[in-house]
Amino acid sequence: MTHAADPRLSARARLRRALSNGRVTAVLILLPPALILFTLFVMLPLGESAWFSFFNWNGYGAPEDFVGLDNYERILGHSVFHTAAGNTLKIVAISLVVQMPLALFLALLIYRKTPTNALFRLVFFLPYILAEVAAGLIWSFVFDGNYGVTASIAQGLGFENVFILSDPDWAFAAIMTVIVWKYFGFHMMIYIAALQSVPEDQIEAARIEGARRTQVVRYVQIPHIRPAIAVSAFFAIIGALQVFDVIIPLTNGGPSNQTHTIVTYLYTFGLTRLNIGFGSAVGVILFVGAVTVAIFYQRIFMKRTEA
Amino acid sequence: MAEVTLHNISKSFGGLTVLPDLNLTVPDGSFTVLVGPSGCGKSTLLRIISGLEMPSGGSVRIGGTDVTFEEPSKRGISMVFQSYALYPHMTVAQNIDFGLRLAKVPAAERKARVTEAARILALEDYLDRKPSQLSGGQRQRVAIGRSIVRQPQVFLFDEPLSNLDAALRTQMRVELAQLHQSLDATMIYVTHDQVEAMTLADQIVVMKAGRIEQVGAPMDVYDRPQTAFVAGFIGSPRMNLLPGTAIGRADVAQVGIRPEHIGVSSSVGTWAARAQVVETLGADTVVYAKVDQVGDVTVRLPGNQRLKAGETLFLTPEPQNLHLFDDAGLRMEDPS
Repeated sequence: MTHAADPRLSARARLRRALSNGRVTAVLILLPPALILFTLFVMLPLGESAWFSFFNWNGYGAPEDFVGLDNYERILGHSVFHTAAGNTLKIVAISLVVQMPLALFLALLIYRKTPTNALFRLVFFLPYILAEVAAGLIWSFVFDGNYGVTASIAQGLGFENVFILSDPDWAFAAIMTVIVWKYFGFHMMIYIAALQSVPEDQIEAARIEGARRTQVVRYVQIPHIRPAIAVSAFFAIIGALQVFDVIIPLTNGGPSNQTHTIVTYLYTFGLTRLNIGFGSAVGVILFVGAVTVAIFYQRIFMKRTEA
Repeated sequence: MAEVTLHNISKSFGGLTVLPDLNLTVPDGSFTVLVGPSGCGKSTLLRIISGLEMPSGGSVRIGGTDVTFEEPSKRGISMVFQSYALYPHMTVAQNIDFGLRLAKVPAAERKARVTEAARILALEDYLDRKPSQLSGGQRQRVAIGRSIVRQPQVFLFDEPLSNLDAALRTQMRVELAQLHQSLDATMIYVTHDQVEAMTLADQIVVMKAGRIEQVGAPMDVYDRPQTAFVAGFIGSPRMNLLPGTAIGRADVAQVGIRPEHIGVSSSVGTWAARAQVVETLGADTVVYAKVDQVGDVTVRLPGNQRLKAGETLFLTPEPQNLHLFDDAGLRMEDPS
């Protein structure tokens, strides 16, 4: 037990001790810069955004037309928002169900330190390094119904040209493919780092006890990297809630507003249409959602992995 | 129970040859200790026996069956690692039970075997704990328990006591010896600690640079070291290895004399020496002395002999306990 936490010490004695051992000085010197920056660049914009969300405001001049919760009502009644929210949840699901297992599978194949594995790691990680907009553009060429790779494949197989990104049924599936392709390398790297820290003799002990490769993965490696999986899932969920720049060059939310996420919805219906109050309300909803997820996730999953 | 036979075993990693050509027989039911300095290939040899490493050449037979290309789990062996290699997310019971579960042993038998192992190793009260809640000695016992329940033909130990403190190491050494007696199994044990080797083994294999220097019972190796290396390696404090001229023998490259085989007098003796450092260990007193023309000489005396650094002593090596070695470091049988 530290002295600072000793309940037997009086408040005055605790303050004197904190002053004498430099803790108060450290707090006084180190806290203000972080606090000021955080307030200026995080808390204030958040607060402003929340404030704007109660106004019908186009971004010019001071917001004056107070509408209360009207913006929230409009959003929650808007069918495109429902689609956007549904799409965002689909991305969360695909990230957890497809992207993470794929990343783990590849990580298990190439986590050992060999020159060939280093090459594969680089290749698999490349999409993540690529700028989102560039990735979106590249894939828009791939999916191009007239000249793209998919067009060549369709022609080769004797089908009619397919315009995936213009097809309301398939456009979002194409986008999810790009998202998985773009981000699996990031999760793979987290798993590789974690797998490399699994003690080799535990794997060897399991082999001696008769564990097959899949059993080693299941009983030794995955339990070992569970904290890394928890962190990776956290990033996957928060990242999925924020998907934006891959979608704009691919479909810009179309066709028929079928491929919006919450963020592209905010951008399209809030910013480009100069409904800043409306956009702010979307932002607030997204923020509340993300914080709720973060808090619950930390409470439930991250805590358990520490134990 | 089984005899282990290694025939012309060689092992190279890339261009580096760790084991050039090695033959060894580990008798059924013996406690054989592979001992040697770091990098002598003893752990590699153990890993080859376990099947975790493939030999570059030669064959491994366990209980008369050639297992050179057999999977580790099919060799009838179990292994205790230096780091214990316990699964941190499993309880003690689950750790011990793991191999049985994989082998789909019926639940009732698994429980019986785990309980029996826990009883032998005094782990009954810890079965529900995680390895992180155990002391080093308890973890080591869990690792041994994991070996026992598999009922292997051969137990392999890779420096199992080196992570323990001195007191615990002594205690575990006794427990291992008792375990060997009660299980009557073949055990192969790797260590760099020659005290462990001497106390545990009924057959010692002294290795150096991938080659076997000597195989024999501990006291044989101690009393009749076949090479100067073995002479210097086995025994603590180590044997004095002096030039042949120290005893007036120009035909001898090195002469070895153990510290306890040197007589000390304050007035007469073969060598006049000056005590440099005196270590009083209680039962023994070890004197590190310097003899002109001969070199540094270590002497072991009864603990009741009180000496001080800087004192002049006269040392006399016991002639019947001299070990003579030739230029190649091989033992010379003295005809005289």
